[in-house]
Amino acid sequence: MTLLYRLILRPLWRDRLRTALTILSVALGIAVIVAIDLASDAATGSFQSSMETLTGKTDFQILANGGVDERWIGRLDGLPVDAHFAPVMETEATIAGIGSVPLYGLDFLGDERLLVSRALVRRLAAGAVTATVAGRRHTFTKRGTLDAPGEFLAIDIAAAQHLLERYGKLDRIDVTVSPGEDAARVEQAIRATLPPSYLIEKPGARNQENQRMLRAFRWNLRVLSYISLIVGAFLIYNTISVSVLRRRGEIGVLRALGAGRGAVLWLFLAEALMLGIAGGLIGLAAGRLLAAGAVRLIAGTVNALYTTSRPAPVALTWSEAWLGLVTAAAVALASAFGPARGAMEVAPAEAMSRGAHEHHARLHWPRALAFSAVLAAVALAVSRAAPIGGYPIGGYAAALLAVGVTALAAPAAVVAANRLTRSAVHMRLEGLLAARSLAGSLGRTSVIVAALATAIAMMASVATMVASFRETVALWLDVQLRADLYVRPAGPQTAGEYPPLAPQVPAILESTPGVAAVDVFRASEFHYRGERATLGAGNIEIVRRYGRLRFLPGEDRDAILRSLPGRDRAIVSEPFANKFGVRAGDVLTVPIGDRNVALRVAGIYYEYSSSQGYVIVDQSTLLKYLPNQPATNAAVYLAGGANADGVEHAIQLRLTGLGASVAPNRELRRNALAIFDRTFAITWALEAVAIIVAMLGAANALLALVLDRRREFGLLRYLGASAAQVRAMILVEAALLGSLAALLGLALGGALSLLLIFVVNKQSFGWTIQFHPPGGLLAAALLLVWCTTVLAALYPARVATRLNPIEVIREE
Amino acid sequence: MGDSVEWEEMASSRVEFRGVSKTYRNGGQPVAVLHEVSLGAAPGTVTAILGRSGSGKTTLLNLAGAMDFPTAGEVLIAGRATSALSARELTALRRTRIGFVFQFFQLLPTLTALENVELPLQLAHTPKSRETALDRLGWVGLEDKAGSFPYQLSGGQMQRVAIARALAHSPELVIADEPTGNLDDASGAQVLALLRASADRFGATVLVATHSAEAAAIADVRVRLRDGRIVERA
Ligand SMILES: Nc1ncnc2c1ncn2[C@@H]1O[C@H](COP(=O)(O)OP(=O)(O)O)[C@@H](O)[C@H]1O
Ligand SMILES: [Mg+2]
Repeated sequence: MTLLYRLILRPLWRDRLRTALTILSVALGIAVIVAIDLASDAATGSFQSSMETLTGKTDFQILANGGVDERWIGRLDGLPVDAHFAPVMETEATIAGIGSVPLYGLDFLGDERLLVSRALVRRLAAGAVTATVAGRRHTFTKRGTLDAPGEFLAIDIAAAQHLLERYGKLDRIDVTVSPGEDAARVEQAIRATLPPSYLIEKPGARNQENQRMLRAFRWNLRVLSYISLIVGAFLIYNTISVSVLRRRGEIGVLRALGAGRGAVLWLFLAEALMLGIAGGLIGLAAGRLLAAGAVRLIAGTVNALYTTSRPAPVALTWSEAWLGLVTAAAVALASAFGPARGAMEVAPAEAMSRGAHEHHARLHWPRALAFSAVLAAVALAVSRAAPIGGYPIGGYAAALLAVGVTALAAPAAVVAANRLTRSAVHMRLEGLLAARSLAGSLGRTSVIVAALATAIAMMASVATMVASFRETVALWLDVQLRADLYVRPAGPQTAGEYPPLAPQVPAILESTPGVAAVDVFRASEFHYRGERATLGAGNIEIVRRYGRLRFLPGEDRDAILRSLPGRDRAIVSEPFANKFGVRAGDVLTVPIGDRNVALRVAGIYYEYSSSQGYVIVDQSTLLKYLPNQPATNAAVYLAGGANADGVEHAIQLRLTGLGASVAPNRELRRNALAIFDRTFAITWALEAVAIIVAMLGAANALLALVLDRRREFGLLRYLGASAAQVRAMILVEAALLGSLAALLGLALGGALSLLLIFVVNKQSFGWTIQFHPPGGLLAAALLLVWCTTVLAALYPARVATRLNPIEVIREE
Repeated sequence: MGDSVEWEEMASSRVEFRGVSKTYRNGGQPVAVLHEVSLGAAPGTVTAILGRSGSGKTTLLNLAGAMDFPTAGEVLIAGRATSALSARELTALRRTRIGFVFQFFQLLPTLTALENVELPLQLAHTPKSRETALDRLGWVGLEDKAGSFPYQLSGGQMQRVAIARALAHSPELVIADEPTGNLDDASGAQVLALLRASADRFGATVLVATHSAEAAAIADVRVRLRDGRIVERA
């Protein structure tokens, strides 16, 4: 214990600024992980419908693609089983000043008034409630308050059907089995009564479905959040290496005095553990705070890409806190193990000088480089692996290996830089000394180069991935959005929600002068093999004539589209095809209405608006099975020579009061890109943190280098160096370090972005992204990182020039 | 740079202590390290500062080399009080007129022997620094070790490199703090001979702190310190 105090704690305290920087970088890493975890939980964990708690214990739910036919309620009620069947409608209502809340249609026996949950009633003004449902504003009188958790509204089922113009259709039927009745018997009886295409699920199945749908998204977010921790691990490695290096003499003496090898190992592991746990604790607190901000970002993404997200309060559970701490401790121990083992190998009373020790490190670089090449080959092989259980394990393993490749190549890069500068004959002394000292403490400089390079690579690769994706989407939008005007129900948009257009809208559009064609689209969410996708139907002949859908290479667009009308044929989006392993020519069995319909896949088209996937059929096919399916949006093609603004204006006038919103092509495109950018906001936030951690690391490492070499700086002053020369030396050293890191980082970043785009994204989300590296952005970011590295050296440089040469030379 | 400071030409490298006292503040408690020390060292002579460990030798040398400044009294180098010099003038003084030799050699581990010797010349932007450095290595008999790194040299060799470095810019004042403290007798003798030669051949003013009798033997003047006071001169 005294040993721990004298050899570890006291030095940690003496270098408290460095200690603080190290702890801070671990804390940031952990904070990000905790924040992302908590925020994802809050943003995606609460799909549990409030209804399930409201209606008490529901045993089954009956669902059908295209809606459950109301007639079945009577048939089910007549079954000789002791169970209750409750019809349910579920939609969204938007209240000014509050936002979007669920609106349930329940069986109230004809009362038109509104029930409000207790939590919501507190936020509502007294009197009538005005809410927008399916694009139209309605005013409801309040009937009473419901004592159930969460914020929601409820009205009578008939009123809900009227609001949504879905007469005769239910979203689901909740089944409650009476006590004493056998649930299996009830299920059997239901199954025997209902058409085979109807789904009978346990409650919570939809929640599970949601979680499954979000699995890839959450997983990728989580992996991204671990980036900062990897950078933090490098910093702990660096700190412990410095610690061991500085105390080689003391360790030797200790060993001579009888301390065992294990004791020495544990001494340094204990140091890492302390740093890790301190960082972990701070990180937990900070993560809890950050989570509140991240929830909104993540909820936005989930809303845009998947399904309605209603964030729950952020809650840090004991198990999550524990996990965060254990992660911090484990990372600290793992990254300290190498240097601590090095300490263990120090021979008793070893008097090996630092110079000699570093000389050994210098001799090891060719071996490290060879190792790096081997790892690179392994990474390449691993990246080709198929996904495991839907996760791109191979891609991530390859990414991690690539980081290792860079770390191992870093010493060689430093040596190469030193050689290059040596051959530059007319080099300034400051440059020579800087390059020499980088190579001189090779073991440590290469760690910091690797850490910085990793952070830069993460930034570069994610930026490249997002920019490529954005460019791909933008190009796709240009091709996809061929119509002049788009009409959809007014109000906020959520993925997976398809509120209906008023029934008279299509006819109004078609009769407006200047309109050449109207493609009415009917979309609905459907359940397919335990996941969700969108079933859509349009006028395929119009799509063929006016549209520009792009199909996978080798598929004949015209022939495919011609083959659809009047037949049970479909085209599917690329993510759908990838997720379910579908190829052109396959037959999908899709439950539609009360039939299981066999659809032959005619082709696979590119689509980037949702990773959930689309199955598209001609409208004739859909209406055959679901005659009353409402239109959900429409694309309007104008006649040649028509005045676009004039027609838009005319349509807007004619649609007044029908709750439809009309947008020209460019606005839709702009909105789509805005949604895209919002979706990736969280990604950028994570990037920023990784970079900050790297900057902390640079400052930390440079400070360590300065403190470690203070005797040299003191000596230089004795030899006639001015303060400016000493400062220049350190800044040049930082600049060299930054340049090396930028070079390596760019190389690694290139590799990682290829992995992200062609392996991870492809396997997780199923879309093909074209490679479009954002040159200008990357150059600017690199310059910024480089400048920040040099700036980070200002403080260490100040420390170096303020050292008292007499004192540092006296220390011996 | 500030190399054009005007110095008193004749008494070029004479060092003079006039009633110098030095007090350190050790956690609020003032500790007097030197008391009213007066002393002169002339060009071409070797002055040995003797005394036990802690008697104030290093402090005295730092004052003489303008690395530190007196609390009372004044230290004159070439006729100018060190306390009156600006930071630029001090840097220029060290670059052109003073060479330091330390007990623990203080070579930069990442530089070769030659580069170490060249270092002060480069810091001062002296032309032909490489040739001069090679020449100085020749003086100390280590031309063949020019490309060696410090950890490849013996203690005596390292100290000889350090002396070559101290003499690189032909300083008029050479300050050596226990230069033989870490050396065996033979290496120590070599180092002492080099210091003696720098006084004899180049007319340098040499100040050596030591507690070895051998070192005292090569000196022209011996000054003994005890508790920061001069107790004996010979
Ligand atoms: N910066 C300082 N602060 C306080 N005391 C100091 C400082 N430098 C030296 N001393 C003290 O001054 C005395 C003389 O030190 P020094 O000149 O190094 O002696 P010597 O070189 O003869 O061993 C010692 O007692 C030492 O502890
Ligand atoms: Mg001393």
